Amino acid sequence: MLKIYLGEMKGAIYHPPTYFDNCYEDEWLTTPLAKEMIRDVDRSEVISAHLIDSPVLGPIPPKDLSGGIKTLLLMAYDTDGKIFNASVCGDNCAKWILKLGEQKDLTINLRHVMRFGKDPFEILILNTGTIVRNMSEFVDVAEAYV
Amino acid sequence: MKGKKRVIIQNNRVHYEFVIKRNITIIQGDSASGKTTLVNMIRQAENLGESSGINVSCEVPCRVLEGVNWKIILENSRESIFFIDEENYFIKTEEFASAIRGSENYFVLITRENLYNLPYSVEEIYGLHVSGKYRDTRKIYQKMYQIYPKTARLPVRVQKIITEDSNSGYQFFENVCAERNITCESAGGKTKIPEMIGKAGTEETCIIADGAAIGAEMNLLSNKIEEKQNVHLYLPESFEWLILNSDLLQDKEVRKILENPEDYIDSTEFFSWEQYFTKLLIQKTEGTYLQYKKAKLNPSYLQDKNKNKILESIQGIQWKIKSLK
Repeated sequence: MLKIYLGEMKGAIYHPPTYFDNCYEDEWLTTPLAKEMIRDVDRSEVISAHLIDSPVLGPIPPKDLSGGIKTLLLMAYDTDGKIFNASVCGDNCAKWILKLGEQKDLTINLRHVMRFGKDPFEILILNTGTIVRNMSEFVDVAEAYV
Repeated sequence: MKGKKRVIIQNNRVHYEFVIKRNITIIQGDSASGKTTLVNMIRQAENLGESSGINVSCEVPCRVLEGVNWKIILENSRESIFFIDEENYFIKTEEFASAIRGSENYFVLITRENLYNLPYSVEEIYGLHVSGKYRDTRKIYQKMYQIYPKTARLPVRVQKIITEDSNSGYQFFENVCAERNITCESAGGKTKIPEMIGKAGTEETCIIADGAAIGAEMNLLSNKIEEKQNVHLYLPESFEWLILNSDLLQDKEVRKILENPEDYIDSTEFFSWEQYFTKLLIQKTEGTYLQYKKAKLNPSYLQDKNKNKILESIQGIQWKIKSLK
């Protein structure tokens, strides 16, 4: 289930892209999920664990992926139990955060209102212990914390 | 610093081009839109100059502000545009807000967080997008677009008005609404607006707030009204700007200023534009029958001729015809 802690959170990784640069593993990049997320968010193709083909920047290393995709990869594969600040992710990452939350227990920190789309979802808000099921409910809870 | 600054930053793959015209500009939007690439290019150009292979064209230096020494750098800089990427937590601090108040520099902040310490405009919150490609090359143009376009869901035929404050602006609209049997309420400050939206009924409701300093609230407000389609936001610079813009004063200088306010509003003197417009209106009306005070509305503004002049200049709201007494 996706769990969100809203607002300032002690111990959360404030800038996941920097954490990614120093902690990612090669094998994360070549999984089908990683390839799909990178294709969708960064519009880039994974050639190998060390090479990504970006339509804008040309051939790039994983360190030049977007901050949003680096954070998604950490959410998917980091096993150190860290909680990552998802406010470095744009709204185009929201559907992937929801998907990751369906596949595993995922706790993230969010410091702004992310648009999770019009479809229903299920998110546990850790600040209040309540479950929100659509954007309207999410915004109503979030306004006290972001 | 004052005036608009055109910025062009390019290498053989990317061409960024945009105009910065206020002391605080925010860049946010989707992931992978080129925000960090922009900052990296500015950093490389600043450090290596021409030998970076990056061309920066701007009448003032474009620089990156980051790291633990940000305050020292800022204290020793003037007439520059500082770009600050989202990893720099200090942009959220009161210390940063104090440091940039009265600064001779402009600041471009890359963040999705709501910076309640800073009075930035709804008009200066941008995203980046690809606007085209160079012919026969892989090079792309990146431009900025306004995240919150000011005409979104406007004009509105109102049944209820909520004003941000309880001063002159509220007093003016309360009178206008009373004549038309429309409800008018004061939110009692911009931080209370989300709560008012939550309580709004089904009537077509327009919230009038100072666009010049409501940037930090926009993430929440835009999401709130997305869920309430009968609630609309009308965000002029400020109530004082509305009066100035209505040409009620028939003042040539005011007209000229409003064409390009950025040429007159010095960041060292005004943290946000609504402070300038208030000062300008007070100055221009001093000693006249329209003498303006923010705390209490001069009744002259409620005379039919003057009131209508202001109302006619408001393009975001369609008013009901006055009720017969």
